[in-house]
Amino acid sequence: MFSRLSYTVREMWASLRRNFTLTAAAIITAAVSLFILGLTLMVLRGFDNQLSQWSGGVEIIVYVENDATPEQLDVIRTAIESTPAVIDISRLEYLDAEQSMEEARRLFAGDPETLGLLSVDNIPTQFKLVPQADVSSELLQQVTSSYKAELPKVFRVASPSKQIEVLDTLRGVVSFVLYLVTLVLLFSAVLLIWNTIRTAMFARRREIEVMKLVGATNWFIRVPFMLEGLIQGLVGALFASGGVLTANWYWTRTVESFPPDSGFGAFVVTGNYPQWVVLWLMVLGMLVGAIGSGTAASKFLDV
Amino acid sequence: MIKLENVTKSYSTEVTALQDATFDIAKAEFVFLVGPSGSGKSTLLRLMNRQEKPEKGMVWVAGRNINDMPDSKVPHLRRNIGNIFQDYKLLANKTVFENVAFALEVIGRPKHVIRQQVPAVLDLVGLNGKQERFPHQLSGGEQQRVSIARAFVNRPLILLADEPTGNLDPSTGEGIMRLLDRINKTGTTVVMATHDQRIVNMMRKRVIQLDRGIIVRDQARGVYE
Repeated sequence: MFSRLSYTVREMWASLRRNFTLTAAAIITAAVSLFILGLTLMVLRGFDNQLSQWSGGVEIIVYVENDATPEQLDVIRTAIESTPAVIDISRLEYLDAEQSMEEARRLFAGDPETLGLLSVDNIPTQFKLVPQADVSSELLQQVTSSYKAELPKVFRVASPSKQIEVLDTLRGVVSFVLYLVTLVLLFSAVLLIWNTIRTAMFARRREIEVMKLVGATNWFIRVPFMLEGLIQGLVGALFASGGVLTANWYWTRTVESFPPDSGFGAFVVTGNYPQWVVLWLMVLGMLVGAIGSGTAASKFLDV
Repeated sequence: MIKLENVTKSYSTEVTALQDATFDIAKAEFVFLVGPSGSGKSTLLRLMNRQEKPEKGMVWVAGRNINDMPDSKVPHLRRNIGNIFQDYKLLANKTVFENVAFALEVIGRPKHVIRQQVPAVLDLVGLNGKQERFPHQLSGGEQQRVSIARAFVNRPLILLADEPTGNLDPSTGEGIMRLLDRINKTGTTVVMATHDQRIVNMMRKRVIQLDRGIIVRDQARGVYE
């Protein structure tokens, strides 16, 4: 067992060194494609943060002062629920101070100054409203403006600005283009790894011929080549991950230096998300390597 | 040890490499396959180690029908068959020791077995003291001895030799034949394809003669003709 393992690692390392230029090209392509994928995921996360308060079809947010009593909140809820022809009651959502604070942490992730002013003791709570599909904008406008005028402790009724609608469209375009570029680059990484393994197998065709004649199993012959591709994918993913984390650190630092109301605060990605992206890049890198090398090692074994 | 029953093999509709071949080779027998180029000698050897499959007929090796053998079992069959070639097929970047050890390493033999068996087989083929040399530092005869050591290190039941003296001068060729004879006397079956009239006549072993894929002669203690 140990001798097989040492053989596999030794042969894989020798082959990586022998095909240095092709190996480097495969690693760089894998790294660039995975880096772009990582950036795509981070950028989309930024968009999602910015758009998070308007997700799920929410078009109106009724902000309620933090010190509203449960009775006052009941009055507001009852008033909203009394217009089922205008508002989809089944999707009515209330965010208490804790939940509103949670959302604010995402929205102001890159704006610590504004975030510092907010706490569960002063942040407004929110009713999130989804209008019925067939309601006219005039009727909606009429009903929602009555909330501010007639209901207790309501200090603002917001609807998404044109900017948000633009951001939503932009998110779609950016995600489409970046995913497409990533897909093309990942495919070229698979092809390059495939070609690297094919070249490595061709360079060692006599060795493979001898191995087959003395009774080595196909798996024994294949594994060092497959491992070689896997390592190429993994090293590419390591470079890509380093790049994504560095870019994220630099972007966060840049946004934090913007004025508090720059509007870019939500585009900062924090929490565990960057670690998840890195994990995905590693898995995908190994998958790209395994697919490229596995198919080549099976196809070109009869050299 | 090896048995062929009505074996036919063709590479295209026009070229029949072997036609209706039937013979039986006993354990520890030494057999020459003779005939002109393209007569089917190499095809016969390739059928015996399952590098090829016949269109018709059966090939039995060590009591097993190898035509029906699943591909996954072929490596285990080949561990009982040593192969020797005219061009030696040595690995240029490995030393004599490493070339021979390679045959054991790739079938998962532990290091202590390799350290024990490789010097023993190199001693048997007369290459003691040349373990650290590379193939290009050896003569043709010595390279063929390395190839024989590699084929024999796993103590196979059968040795298949395809023109092993084809690239060697007569006296070196004779040395190789003496070595193969010694290996044969340890109980290993040897099947050797050759053009070398002098060697066949000198050894006086069984001769199977082929002509355009047909066995035209099968003679005990035969000569080349």
